[in-house]
Amino acid sequence: MAANESPLSSIPSPGGPVLEASHVWKSYGSVRAVADVSFSVPAGQIVGLLGPNGAGKSTTMKAVLGLVRPDAGSIRVLGIDVSQFPVEAKRRIGYVPEATSLYEFLTGAEYLDFVSDLYGLDPAARRQRIPQFLAGLELAGHENALISGYSQGMKQKVALIAGLVHHPRLLVLDEPLNGLDPRSARVVKEVLRNLARHDGVGILFSTHVLEIAQAICDQLVILRQGTVVATGTVADLQRRAGLAGSGLEDVFLSLTGTGDLSDVVSALSR
Amino acid sequence: MDLHTVRRISSVLVASQVRSGRSTSNPTSFFGQPIVFAVIDGVVFVVLFVGALVLLPGGSPLAPVLRSVLLSALPFVPLYTVGAVLVAGIMFELTATAKFSGSDAVNWLPVSPSEYVLGSSTAIAYTYSPALAFLLGPLSAVALRVGLGGSVVLVAFLGVLGLFMGAFLVEMVRSVTQRVGRSGGRRGRYSLALQAVALLLLILAVQLAFNPVFLFDSLSALGVLAQVSAYIPPFWSVHALSLWLAGDALGALLFVAAQVVFAVLLLYAAAELRVRYWVVADTEYRFEALEYAADHPVLAALGLDRAESAIATKDFRSLTRRREMLPMLVIPFVLFIAFLVENAGANSTASPLGHGLGLVLAGWSGGLFALLLAVASVGQERRAVQTLFAAPITGRSVFRAKVAAVLLPGLGVTVAVSAAASVIYRIPLLDTLAYLVVAGAAAVAVALWGLAFASRYSDFQDRPRPQYLRPLPMTVASFSGLVLLFAILLPGAYALGASGTTAVAAAVGAAALALTFGSVGGYVARSGFDRLFRELPF
Repeated sequence: MAANESPLSSIPSPGGPVLEASHVWKSYGSVRAVADVSFSVPAGQIVGLLGPNGAGKSTTMKAVLGLVRPDAGSIRVLGIDVSQFPVEAKRRIGYVPEATSLYEFLTGAEYLDFVSDLYGLDPAARRQRIPQFLAGLELAGHENALISGYSQGMKQKVALIAGLVHHPRLLVLDEPLNGLDPRSARVVKEVLRNLARHDGVGILFSTHVLEIAQAICDQLVILRQGTVVATGTVADLQRRAGLAGSGLEDVFLSLTGTGDLSDVVSALSR
Repeated sequence: MDLHTVRRISSVLVASQVRSGRSTSNPTSFFGQPIVFAVIDGVVFVVLFVGALVLLPGGSPLAPVLRSVLLSALPFVPLYTVGAVLVAGIMFELTATAKFSGSDAVNWLPVSPSEYVLGSSTAIAYTYSPALAFLLGPLSAVALRVGLGGSVVLVAFLGVLGLFMGAFLVEMVRSVTQRVGRSGGRRGRYSLALQAVALLLLILAVQLAFNPVFLFDSLSALGVLAQVSAYIPPFWSVHALSLWLAGDALGALLFVAAQVVFAVLLLYAAAELRVRYWVVADTEYRFEALEYAADHPVLAALGLDRAESAIATKDFRSLTRRREMLPMLVIPFVLFIAFLVENAGANSTASPLGHGLGLVLAGWSGGLFALLLAVASVGQERRAVQTLFAAPITGRSVFRAKVAAVLLPGLGVTVAVSAAASVIYRIPLLDTLAYLVVAGAAAVAVALWGLAFASRYSDFQDRPRPQYLRPLPMTVASFSGLVLLFAILLPGAYALGASGTTAVAAAVGAAALALTFGSVGGYVARSGFDRLFRELPF
């Protein structure tokens, strides 16, 4: 795309992908984090990004945000090249990082107001939306306390609200349900489903809890050692692993080559 | 108390300190081992000892003079070590986040608070022991040449005791400061501000109470040094050494014993305080309900947009609410107050020299504050900086916000301290206003200079002893910034007191320096922020 070209010149048609990652490579020194990763997130769909620890999930998500620059390949958010127009892309993305790092010297309300300022959310919208989210996630009454006094789950809720408050078109959620109580986790899952189905938001969702992935994801992308080893619906993956009717855990372990754990379990049980 | 446990705790804490600045190097290398401080002690001592021996051959005609100097200087070595550990402790130990300076990492293990305090204090004393080796090396050589070699053993013993006393005091302050970061249960932003002010005063009091220069000068100024010093614990080691050097061994031993007892009492007090904060409950600090989307009229008037104003406002809150930022606030005031007390005599306040010194120090305190804020401004974001990286803002916006967040408090302190100097030194209003221009220009120049380093060498890692800049750039930034401050302030103050072409030349020189370094710093910082925000640095 030429430098003077508008970042919005190639917004996809409704129903098209909100995120397209194409042949993305990224290394840190001699360590290859992701290699030739390609996938897409269609509008209105929740795509699960699964993989063992160190598989490259977080690097992939950070590349989508423009937080790390791929060595090769391209990433487009609503048709906007993230490396060329990072600010325009970020304006349309909501992000919840894996390790929640908030400004703990702010109150929850101050943090959310701060994030709203960064995203340019108009005053009327934030006065309406922030209290709604606080009430929905049972944070109301705590919003004027310092975040340093929050539990891990409360911090996660603040991070979730910060990711959702500005009406993003793409959500990038790295372990978003970490530390949430069952009710809040249920609320978040339902909100994500509604955002996808009714508002056409595309969601890239990383988790190690395979039951959650199986329950809410429309598509799955499985990474192993920085490469995509399988993509598709749960049924597609079951067929591919030759485990039709099995749970996602068995499918996942089979596809990532970590299926036989009996020796490890036996050694650790002694 | 299990001394093996104390030794293990101490060893682990020292290891965490020597590795805190080395994110990429091998932690198992020699420089990542606790032994490294002992080696530094040995090398510093031997090099300075041998160097001094070579420079001062036996039978030197200088020996009588040096003996006289040594008789005056040696007694103050232990007091100096207490002050050195306190200054370093306030600078580096209190900057640790509550997560690391609290006892949560060990309080679930079979370790008692006393064992933890002694282990932690030993780690602090050991970490700063090179300061003592730096003094003892040349002093021992000179003492040997002038026939006072035997006294060095007592100096060394009391010096090591001084290191521990300083460490116990740091531990006490550290335990108390847990309250700001971790617990509370009170309502309203004023309770937090009051606690911060109380802590500032506490740190200031402890700093001054064990600052040898401050103690000596203030008691001398009051004319009561001789009468009261024997009753002031920090002076007991001074008395012990003075009596020893005067040949009164019994009197010396009595004061040594008293000093040891005082050190044990400090340890006891430190342990008791740690017991009190051994398990600190996370309690909510509640603030008044926030008005969402409030305007920032002052920042908007300065040309900042809403996102930039939000970042600057967030940094103001960081400065007043975070315990690890307290040293930033306290250092300029400690320096200024210490200077004021040292120059409290009527003659110095009324003299032109006193005017000049007062103004220079006022400008220097404000400039130092701006410099410290600037170098810490990016690294103090820690891992939460990813909020800024993920947001739809440019590095240029963050730069503008940081300039405001550094300059507004920096200039505020400069004005406040200059006004105080103006009152104390009875400086005419016009002179004060003219000097404020100089001091303000110096503060702006060093702030931009500091931001240039912050934009390129900040450290975002969550470490036991957080560093806002990587060690070498921090050293370069601090040293060059302080030199720059003096280079602007001294000719600026001179220009105010003098007349004719030299005064004009001095004024032009000061302005040129401020403009040059401010512009270079601003340019480098701006491009540094652009570069920094291309990719998350961790």
